[in-house]
Amino acid sequence: MSKPSDLVQGTLDLLILKILALEPLHGWAISRRLKQVSNEVLQVSDGSLYPALHKLEQEGWIKAEWRPTENNRRAKFYALTARGRKHLARESASWERLSSAIVQVLELKAI
Amino acid sequence: MNPLHWVSTVRLRVRSLFHRSSVERELREELQYHLDQRTEELVATGMTEADARRTAAHQLPGLEQIKEECRDMRKVRPIEDLVRDVAFGARLLRKSPGFTVVVLIVLALGIGANTALFSLFNQVLLRSLPVANPDELVVLVSKVPRWGTFSSFSYPMFRELRDKNTVLTGLLAHSGADLNVGYGGQSTKAVGEVVSTEYFNVLGVRPWLGRFIDRTDEERAVANPVAVLTYSCWQQRFGGDRSIVDRDIVLNGHATRIIGIAPPGFYGTELNRSPDVFVPVTLKKVFEPVPRDRFDNPGQQWLRVMGRLKPGVSIQQAQAAIDLLHHQVREREVQALPPRPRDSDNMMLETHVELQPGAHGFGLLQRELAKALRLLLVISAIILVITCANLANMLLARNAARAQEITMRLALGASRLRLVRQWLTESALLSLLGGGLGVVVSVWCQGALLSFLPVEQRANLSSHPDVAVLAFAIAVSVITGLLFGLAPALQVSRASLHHKASSENAGGFRAGLVALQVALCLPLLVIAGLFLASLRNTRTLPTGFESKNVILATIDPSLNGYDQPRVRHLFQQTLQAARALPGVEAAGFGHTVVLSGSADQMVLTVEGFTQKASDEMTALVNTISPGYFEALRLPLVSGRYFNERDAAGSRPVGIINETIARQFFPGKNPIGMRFGTDTKSPPNIEVIGVVRDAKYTTITEKPERQYYIPMSQNPELRDMTLHIRASGDPRLLVELLRSKIRAIDPNVPLFNVKTLEQGIDESLSHDRLVAWLSIALGALATALCAIGLYGVIAFSVARRTREVGIRMALGAQRRDILALIVKRVTLLLTGGVLIGAIGALAGTRVIGSLLFGVTPTDPGVFAAATAILLLAAAVAAYLPARRALQVNPSVALRYE
Repeated sequence: MSKPSDLVQGTLDLLILKILALEPLHGWAISRRLKQVSNEVLQVSDGSLYPALHKLEQEGWIKAEWRPTENNRRAKFYALTARGRKHLARESASWERLSSAIVQVLELKAI
Repeated sequence: MNPLHWVSTVRLRVRSLFHRSSVERELREELQYHLDQRTEELVATGMTEADARRTAAHQLPGLEQIKEECRDMRKVRPIEDLVRDVAFGARLLRKSPGFTVVVLIVLALGIGANTALFSLFNQVLLRSLPVANPDELVVLVSKVPRWGTFSSFSYPMFRELRDKNTVLTGLLAHSGADLNVGYGGQSTKAVGEVVSTEYFNVLGVRPWLGRFIDRTDEERAVANPVAVLTYSCWQQRFGGDRSIVDRDIVLNGHATRIIGIAPPGFYGTELNRSPDVFVPVTLKKVFEPVPRDRFDNPGQQWLRVMGRLKPGVSIQQAQAAIDLLHHQVREREVQALPPRPRDSDNMMLETHVELQPGAHGFGLLQRELAKALRLLLVISAIILVITCANLANMLLARNAARAQEITMRLALGASRLRLVRQWLTESALLSLLGGGLGVVVSVWCQGALLSFLPVEQRANLSSHPDVAVLAFAIAVSVITGLLFGLAPALQVSRASLHHKASSENAGGFRAGLVALQVALCLPLLVIAGLFLASLRNTRTLPTGFESKNVILATIDPSLNGYDQPRVRHLFQQTLQAARALPGVEAAGFGHTVVLSGSADQMVLTVEGFTQKASDEMTALVNTISPGYFEALRLPLVSGRYFNERDAAGSRPVGIINETIARQFFPGKNPIGMRFGTDTKSPPNIEVIGVVRDAKYTTITEKPERQYYIPMSQNPELRDMTLHIRASGDPRLLVELLRSKIRAIDPNVPLFNVKTLEQGIDESLSHDRLVAWLSIALGALATALCAIGLYGVIAFSVARRTREVGIRMALGAQRRDILALIVKRVTLLLTGGVLIGAIGALAGTRVIGSLLFGVTPTDPGVFAAATAILLLAAAVAAYLPARRALQVNPSVALRYE
């Protein structure tokens, strides 16, 4: 139930990194943003979001900081690290290669 | 991984490990924030607060599971688990102190024995000389056809080899010298080493203080003697006083300047020798003036020679070059000699020099102990296997007791891997604790081991574990833990909820482990028995003299630089003083001491005896005073002993032993016949007596030719050993004797004071060490076997209490129950003993060369070893059997 079975393995990591590349956010906001930007297509369960965030943090791709939110509560904000930025570039490049390859195959089938 | 990244992630891991509570709080807070936000959002859509909260919680299901998954992401889970396993294991061990104590004792003994032996093995056989790059060092020996290997070279030969070779970076020569050290009004005996200038340089040793001997020192040594002290001598005799450098001490009556101190740990080139003082080789002229041609005569071979290979030169290349050089020198030497029999020239020319690896110096101790130490190391490894089998058995038994815990944990969702890890952690915990205790035990054992060796042989051996020994102990502990922990852990891994992790099917395995222990134990007992028999055989060999109640003490007034008349007078006074001591039956001097391992040898010429090629003409010689034979109770066969009338000026006389009489005067009365030691003049020593044969150098030697000459007729007296026979314990005489000799001359120290029996024991010290060590290891193995057997029987009795109860209720007699147990024990033992006996027959073959007077397959020893093992087994089985016999059927049936 908590596994992102509807997402290709590793895709969640990529999405989180991409979202955080724009600005530091806390978990809740990341969850909102994911739904928002994918027009509710990508249903990432919150149950898998937090373990993923913790994993990325342990890998050193994102770092966490406790900061007050707009409504004056303390929240754990995640921000991309330099290594995370590199990792994101690498991963998105390979994602693009992969998806364009898949698209090509699909088009081939359509002919 | 780049280091910066590594640093940052390590910080995270450390935080996860050591600030676990705040990490946990943050996790809680983070998830709580999410819930609150969601609730707020829902409230905004018009839901009530309570509904919103419920819905939010519903949408984030399995909060604990999410937390657990987040925790998994921290990558410190294995460490956390380990900490928890160790803590849990420690708690369990505390809860069953009896079990823990037995396991730890078994481990401490097993690992301790192994560590102690490894420590000795390491120090004697593995560790190189404490010098720079010891692997480059080579030792020169000469191989004389039909005579054997010799380790000494003449000074002229050393000089030639040193100056003309192109394969060595340097060549050194050294020899021993007995020294009297006088400092601050006190005089003590010291071990000296005369060394050539190259000595420290070739060895690559740097001075700790001051400087080492240089060529000028060597050239001027006779007029200006100098000396270098070893660090330990400096510490012990001079209290580490730095101002001693450039001050004078008195060596053998000569003021000698201390020029430097050798670094700590440097003991020269022999493990079994620890010199106190190094002096230039030229001082030998002063300290030991006889023979006078020591430095010029190629026949005077007294220097040990070592060299360091040039980089890139192999030992074979160097040997070829040195041997050629040696041969050239020999040819010149032979030409320079007056015409002599051809064969002695041939002997000189056929001699070859061999280069041997010198990382251990000459390695006398190594060569003597190598085989025995290897054997004992194998034995101790077998002990370790027995220990492992034993502990595996105990832990398997414990598994049965823990069956409920295992089932419970499996039911609660523990993975099998997790359980195996928990089990292995527990055995690792036990083995490391046991290993720690083992190191303590080993230090103690090592002290006991070393005390078997004579003082001079153990001078450079220590019982303190070094890094190698500690590493060995840790490695052995870990391997032991894995070995004995594996079977129990695997048993747990096979456990399932339906099939209890009990020992029904492990019974056979456990019995097999006991049989294995028995099978391994028997050869060890046989080996111990063989060594004990061998030692008894040597110790009870007839020596020809009576060793009881004799005390020995050596004096050497010549070391004080006294001239011969003064030396002679001093010996005379000492002998009179000794005879006047209360309770002294006889006293006499002898130059060599029986069974001390060394003796002087001469080549004889015999009146009326024509030498055939097969005749060996060498004989051992001893210089003695009247009273010597009486002190040793060495009986006269014919003729007379020496007396006061055999003086320096009168005709030369000698006493021969029976072997000489038989070989050189067959069928004749030897009394009045003459023999000599100088080939150039006719035999001049008249035989005045024949004494019974005795053992002279070693107790296991074949009958040797030996003759004696009186002290009065030996022109150059050196050290003499006083032999005193007392009517009671001769040790009581020592202090009295010391004070008498101090009264005669306070500058003459008494050394090598010991009873003759101690001396003989020392000559057998290696045999004694091996015998007692193998006995101790055999006893340990037997004890372990007995414990193992006890465990198995006790366990099966406990498990079958109900069965025994039923049988008794149905009318079984005690003897039926006993038969049940006896049958089981017999089964266990028979297999083990049979395999063990076969193993022993195969294994003891290799120790044949270490035994004396007993064959490796001695049936008596085999029978005795088996009997001891069976007796131990019977005792071990009796205790649990008694419990089974006392089972009360009504209690037993209510049991469980």
